[in-house]
Amino acid sequence: MRAVAADVEASVTRDGVTVHYARYGYASPTLVLLPAWSLVHSRHWKMQVPYLARHYTVLTFDGRGSGRSDRPASPASYSAAEFAADALAVMDATETERAVLVSVSRGALWSLHLCAEHPERVLGAIFIAPGVPFEPPARERVVVLQRFDEVVEEPVGWEKYNAHHWKADYRDFVEFFVGRMFTEQHSTKQYEDAVDWALETDPATLIASHYGLDDCTPQAIGRLAAKVRCPVLVIHGSDDAVRAHPAGASLAERTCGTLVTLEGSGHFPHTRDPVRLNLLIRQFVEGTRR
Amino acid sequence: MRARQPDRADVVERKGVKVAYEVVGTGEPGLLLIPAAPISHARSWKGLVPFLSRHFTVVTVDPRGNGPSDRPAGRAAYGPDEMLADQLAVLDAVGLTRAIVVAHCHAVPWALRLAAEHADRVWGVVAIAPAVALAPRDGHWAEPTERWADEVDNPTGWGLCNRHFWRQDYPAWPRFFFDQLLPEPHSTKQYEDAVSWALETDPETMIAEREGRDAPKDRHAAEALCRSVRCPTLVIHGTDDRCQPVARGQRLAELTGGDLVVLEGAGHLPQGREPVKVNRLVKAFVDRIEGEPMRRQVWTRSLRRPKRALYLSSPIGLGHARRDVAVVKELKRLRPELEVDWLAQHPVTSVLEAEGERIHPASAWLANESAHIASEACEHDLHCFQALRRMDEILVANFMVFQEVVEEGLYDLVIGDEAWDVDHFWHENPELKRGDHVWLTDFVGYLPMPDGGEHEAFLTADYNAEMIEHIARYPRIRDSAIFVGNPDDIVPDTFGADLPNIRDWTETHFSFSGYITGFTPPDPDEVPAVRAELGYRDDEQVCVVAVGGSGVGRALLEKVIAAYPLAKRLVPELRMVVVAGPRIDPGSLPSHPGLEVHGYVNRLYRHLSVCDLAVAQGGLTTTMELAAAKRPFLYFPLRHHFEQTFHVRHRLDRYGAGRCMDYATSDPDLIAAAVGDHIGEAVAYRDVETEGAAQAARLIAELL
Repeated sequence: MRAVAADVEASVTRDGVTVHYARYGYASPTLVLLPAWSLVHSRHWKMQVPYLARHYTVLTFDGRGSGRSDRPASPASYSAAEFAADALAVMDATETERAVLVSVSRGALWSLHLCAEHPERVLGAIFIAPGVPFEPPARERVVVLQRFDEVVEEPVGWEKYNAHHWKADYRDFVEFFVGRMFTEQHSTKQYEDAVDWALETDPATLIASHYGLDDCTPQAIGRLAAKVRCPVLVIHGSDDAVRAHPAGASLAERTCGTLVTLEGSGHFPHTRDPVRLNLLIRQFVEGTRR
Repeated sequence: MRARQPDRADVVERKGVKVAYEVVGTGEPGLLLIPAAPISHARSWKGLVPFLSRHFTVVTVDPRGNGPSDRPAGRAAYGPDEMLADQLAVLDAVGLTRAIVVAHCHAVPWALRLAAEHADRVWGVVAIAPAVALAPRDGHWAEPTERWADEVDNPTGWGLCNRHFWRQDYPAWPRFFFDQLLPEPHSTKQYEDAVSWALETDPETMIAEREGRDAPKDRHAAEALCRSVRCPTLVIHGTDDRCQPVARGQRLAELTGGDLVVLEGAGHLPQGREPVKVNRLVKAFVDRIEGEPMRRQVWTRSLRRPKRALYLSSPIGLGHARRDVAVVKELKRLRPELEVDWLAQHPVTSVLEAEGERIHPASAWLANESAHIASEACEHDLHCFQALRRMDEILVANFMVFQEVVEEGLYDLVIGDEAWDVDHFWHENPELKRGDHVWLTDFVGYLPMPDGGEHEAFLTADYNAEMIEHIARYPRIRDSAIFVGNPDDIVPDTFGADLPNIRDWTETHFSFSGYITGFTPPDPDEVPAVRAELGYRDDEQVCVVAVGGSGVGRALLEKVIAAYPLAKRLVPELRMVVVAGPRIDPGSLPSHPGLEVHGYVNRLYRHLSVCDLAVAQGGLTTTMELAAAKRPFLYFPLRHHFEQTFHVRHRLDRYGAGRCMDYATSDPDLIAAAVGDHIGEAVAYRDVETEGAAQAARLIAELL
């Protein structure tokens, strides 16, 4: 059973793509808990919503390609600008003038778009384990990304991040990838949850979403980060095996934000250390009231 | 001594009337603290200023009529317009454009007007026990209100609030009034403070202010004032406030849309009686208005954290530093993975630095307790019970530092060797406890000095009773309590009339580690080698004179130095070595040819353990080091020092160690003769245990 039911569940449709959203609570300000990569849907915020909704208004939506939202086929549908436009559409539909944005991982890209291009709609931004391309990824990851659409026989490790492998054995990829998300001991439940959510979408959608980010170069994202003027909090685990800690540190520096390092944490700390993350989010939101 | 000196103290002058203010810190916003003058003055904020000024600029003002401010004559000088103009003049003088005003009792209407008429400058108001006529006062105010100006014969109780009576016997009013306003048990210090501040003004000033106050008298006018306030407000009000009923605070919060914090069981002076709670409420209020800044930080997942302890060593003198280092060494033997930080101040830090221990950087925020103790001492006289009472604001200031350290530091364990602030304020604010808590002490029970009479006996019993009640009500605050010594070391007294026997109670509530010397004295056959290493020859009679680390020993040093020429005549082989300690400048002491004077000597115990005679104060550490090393020694308990006079002497008598000397009646002749009598003599003391540190460490390690 869910800890708290949504006060409003509805959807918005843009260019024929329908995105499903939910609203919880009534207090001010509003927090938009942004989608991450379409591998998971909005249930990954389940540890945050009940607490934050007691203090604020919380909006969540299933990112296109995940959960109850549509799964358009074209890569162009998965650009950062499209995700950002979905967020604005949800804010418009709920008459939300301004909000604090909370993102995880790849959600950092949509959040940066909003902060930089729509500063009048953003009170502040929290980036958890931000998936920003500021620090060179490990060499093995670079090689793997270059071979994303090649056929790799019996892929090992990050070689499983591969379009053909996803189509051949999607579950194998999911189990590998989610395993990398949780480097903390004793994370079985968080692991099972993320695997289940990932299995609700499909390889074709994820492949499209992969190509959708082609324009997210370090230069382009760096330009967005440089335009951010709102208060920023970056939270990054020291043991994040998906997006390394220096990327978060760099984002904090570029946005004049505060960096909180979680010693021993992996890539999804909001599910693994929900209490600390909830308290950090609350502390940050209170600070934006000034 | 104050816990925090102001950065700036100045006056503003309006129409020939000077109003004093003090500033700590710079930057905006600033807090403006307004006391209910003239019956009180700015020192009534002493429990708040040190803590709040670490986070914000703090301005305290002495409204006209008391403190260093003028006491103009005539009621017109005390009208609300004058008071408002004074506060504005102070804000201007400080250059504060954004203030959060904290006001008490009848200063609250001034603060509300300031907020209403200068909304651009006042960003928030904290109203403590507000005197705003939003609800009727308690019935006991009817008579004094009605008959204020009448000539009443022999008024009593609340009737003492009478113009004519104040002119006859003003001091009787604050004595009655503050007794009523502090209904909380164990409030003797707050009562003494409040009365003494009230007595710094005079009846004519009190009468003029009361008659000129002109605050909104009826409910409608008071409500209109409250409704005109637009900024955030916080109301703090005790349920047992006999000056202002809590209904007034409740209504003020309603009308201003503010937050209300009701302090159940508190009287009219929570800033004095509950300083920790009020500090935290004020800071949280300002943080809500300003937004608490996020700081760069590291949070470590729970299973990743190393085990960590925070050690607090009683900072008065050097007494406990050596034994605490010894306990930590043993503890690390038992729990090698344990990390220990020290929250410590000078002179304890001099020992810790020499030992390579890790001193927490927040130690720099601590107000110095040794300096306070030195400021309380005069010629070989230290009333240590009263000195501890007068250290109240330093204890609050240091507790607030400590609490911030434990809230951020993720400590598993707090070890306090006579860390009075931690033990007291965790019992007073049990919801603040973090980590397990080990309490160490080498004495239990405040004892009155005979010349303090009945009142001092009442005060010590009251302090003891509060401690006993604390531990009965909150046994979870001390996870382990260790008495550094043995049951036989405990004095055969009671905690006071109708209170338990000290030994019975202590045996029930403590474990016993045995004495902790912090070092192993040399065996008799090792003594010559140590003497040789320290440069003491066999044909010399070495007399070491030491007074510990607190700086109160100067008078004794001078007296013993004066006895040196006589003693040298009596004992030609005499070599006298005077150790001034870390807080007395050795160059400032008198000198004689042949006399050696040193400052701080690291490992002084090695010198003491091989000397032929020592002269010391009655402090436990030095005398027990001498007892353990089986050296003859003379000791002079500080006058009015109950611990040295009773607790230490009892313990030394049990070991059969040392000769107790009276400072006042010992002239240089007598001291020289005593040196001659005892130097080099063989002694037959009871053995001092050597396993104390290991035993204490075992008791502590059980918690890890």
